[in-house]
Amino acid sequence: MAKKDITEIKKIENDIFELLKTVMDPEIEIDIINLGLVYNILYDGEHNVRIEMTLSTPACPLADAITDNVENVLKARYKDFDIEIDVVFEPLWDASMISEEGRKMLNM
Amino acid sequence: MAKNLHTENAPAISTVKPHFLFAALGLFALGIFMFLGAHSFLDVYYNHRLLAITHTAVLGWLMMLIFGSLYQLIPVIFDTALYSEKLAKFTFWITGFSIIFLIYTFWIGDYTELLPYAATSMYLSLFFFVFNIMMSYRQARIKNIKSAFILVAVFWLLMAETEGLLIALNFSYNFYSSSHLFHLQAHAIMGLIGFFVMMIFGVGTTLIPMFLISHRMNEALLNKSFYFLNAGIAGLVLSKYFFPNQWVELFFWLIFVIGIVYYLLYTHDSYKRRMKKHLDVGMKYTMLALVFIGAPFVLSLLLILLQNGSQTINLEILTLLYGLSMIFGFFTTIALGQTYKTLPFIVWLEKYQDKVGKYHTPLPRELYSEKVGGIQFYIYMLFLLTMLVALIFQVAILIQIATALFLVVTILYNYNVWLMLFHNSDKYIKKRENEILKDK
Repeated sequence: MAKKDITEIKKIENDIFELLKTVMDPEIEIDIINLGLVYNILYDGEHNVRIEMTLSTPACPLADAITDNVENVLKARYKDFDIEIDVVFEPLWDASMISEEGRKMLNM
Repeated sequence: MAKNLHTENAPAISTVKPHFLFAALGLFALGIFMFLGAHSFLDVYYNHRLLAITHTAVLGWLMMLIFGSLYQLIPVIFDTALYSEKLAKFTFWITGFSIIFLIYTFWIGDYTELLPYAATSMYLSLFFFVFNIMMSYRQARIKNIKSAFILVAVFWLLMAETEGLLIALNFSYNFYSSSHLFHLQAHAIMGLIGFFVMMIFGVGTTLIPMFLISHRMNEALLNKSFYFLNAGIAGLVLSKYFFPNQWVELFFWLIFVIGIVYYLLYTHDSYKRRMKKHLDVGMKYTMLALVFIGAPFVLSLLLILLQNGSQTINLEILTLLYGLSMIFGFFTTIALGQTYKTLPFIVWLEKYQDKVGKYHTPLPRELYSEKVGGIQFYIYMLFLLTMLVALIFQVAILIQIATALFLVVTILYNYNVWLMLFHNSDKYIKKRENEILKDK
C-alpha cells in the first residue's frame, strides 16, 4: 500500500477519533473520547495504527473489555490495519481530562 | 494483544458464581427462618433458633458472598492470582455442607451430639479459605494497607472460628471454667468486628473509590484507621480473656471507634471527590450502610457502660438490637448494595468481553432490573424501621410484619441475582438486532 499524504492521514485519524466515541466505559457510561482516556491516535499512513490510552484507574477490572472494544471497532472499519493499543498511566488520568460534553453527561 | 494483568489473574467464573448463588439462596433461607422463628426475637438472644438465624445470616448469606467477591478481587487488591482455584472450589462445597449442617443443629437445638461435628466441619472449611487467602498474600505483588486489611480480617476469622469450635466442643466436654456467654462475646467480637468489619472495610477501600470514580485518595487516613481498628479489636478481645473490666473495655472501644471515624473520613473524602454524581441503587445501599454503622457502636457503648446491670434498660433487648444493627443495619445493607455493583460486572465480563464492539451489548447495570432493585431498597428500609420499633417496644405482631417485609426483600433480591446469573447473551443480542432491524 502506498503511503498516504498528510491530509489523508489526518482524515483517517479523525475518523478513528469519531469511531472511538462508540466505545463506552461500562461503569462510567460515557465514551472513552469524552472521558479523556485516549491520549493519542497515530496513523503511519500505511497500515499501522497506534492508540495511546489510559484507564480511569490502574486497577480497572474492565481494562481488557475496553481495549478489546477499541480493537474490535477499529478492525470492523479497517480490516487490514494492525492496531496497537498502548495502555499508559503517565500522565495519570483525572477529572480535568473529561471533555465539556462528558461533564454534561456526568452532571458535573 | 497482551491481556491486562488483572484479567489474566482473574479466577474462572465457575469458581466465583456458585458463591453468589449460594449467598442468594442463603438470604432467602434467612428470610424464611426469620418469618417462621419471629417469636424467638422476643426470647433471650442466645436461644437456639436465634443462633440458627444469626449463623444463616453471617455464614450462609454474608460469608458466602464475601468468599465469592474476594476471589474475584484478589487479582485487583493483591495483584496476583488466587493461590489455588481447586482449593477454592473444594472449599465452596465443604463450606456449603458445613453451613447447612451447623444451621440445622442450631435450629433443632442439638448442642451435644451433632454440634461438635458440625463445628469441626465448619472450622476446617474456614481454615481452607484462610489458608488460600494467606498463601495468595504471600505471592502478592501489591502489599499495602488495602491488602493488609484483608490479611488481618482472615486472621480474625481464624481466631473467631477457633473460639467457636471450642465453645461447641465445650458443650460435650465441659472444659471451660467461665460462662459460655463470656466466650460467645469474644467469638462475636472476633467474628463480627474482627472479620466482617475489617473485611468489608478492606474490600471497600478498593471498591468505593472505584465505583464512585474518586482519585488521589488520602491513604494516611486509611493507615490510621487500620492501626486504631486493630488495636481496638485486640484490646477488646484480650480484655475479655485476661482483664475483664468495664473501663478497660471502654478505653479499647474508644480506640476502635477512632479507627471507624478515620475510615468514615476516608470514604467521605472519596464521596466528595467522586465524579459519578448520581448514585445508583448499589451505591445508595453502600452509602446508607456507612451511615448506619454508628448505631451498633452507640449500642455497644451502652452495653459496656451498663454491663453491671441496669434497672431501667433491658440488656437482653439492647444486645439483640446491637446484633441486629450490626448484621442488618451495616453488613446486610452493604452486601445487598455491593451485589448490584460487583455481580453485574462479573457476569458482563463473562458474557460480553469477547463481543464488545462486534455486537450491540448491554451495559452491566442492564443485566438486572433497576426497578426491582429500587423497590427492594425501600422495602428493606421499611423492614429496618419496623424491626427497630418492634424490638424496642417488644410487639410480637410488628416483628412478624417486619420479618414478612424481609422475606419480600429476599425474594426480590433473588429475582435480580438469578436474572444476572442465568443471563443469556445470545438471546439478548438476537433480540437487540431484531429491534434495530424493526426501527430501520
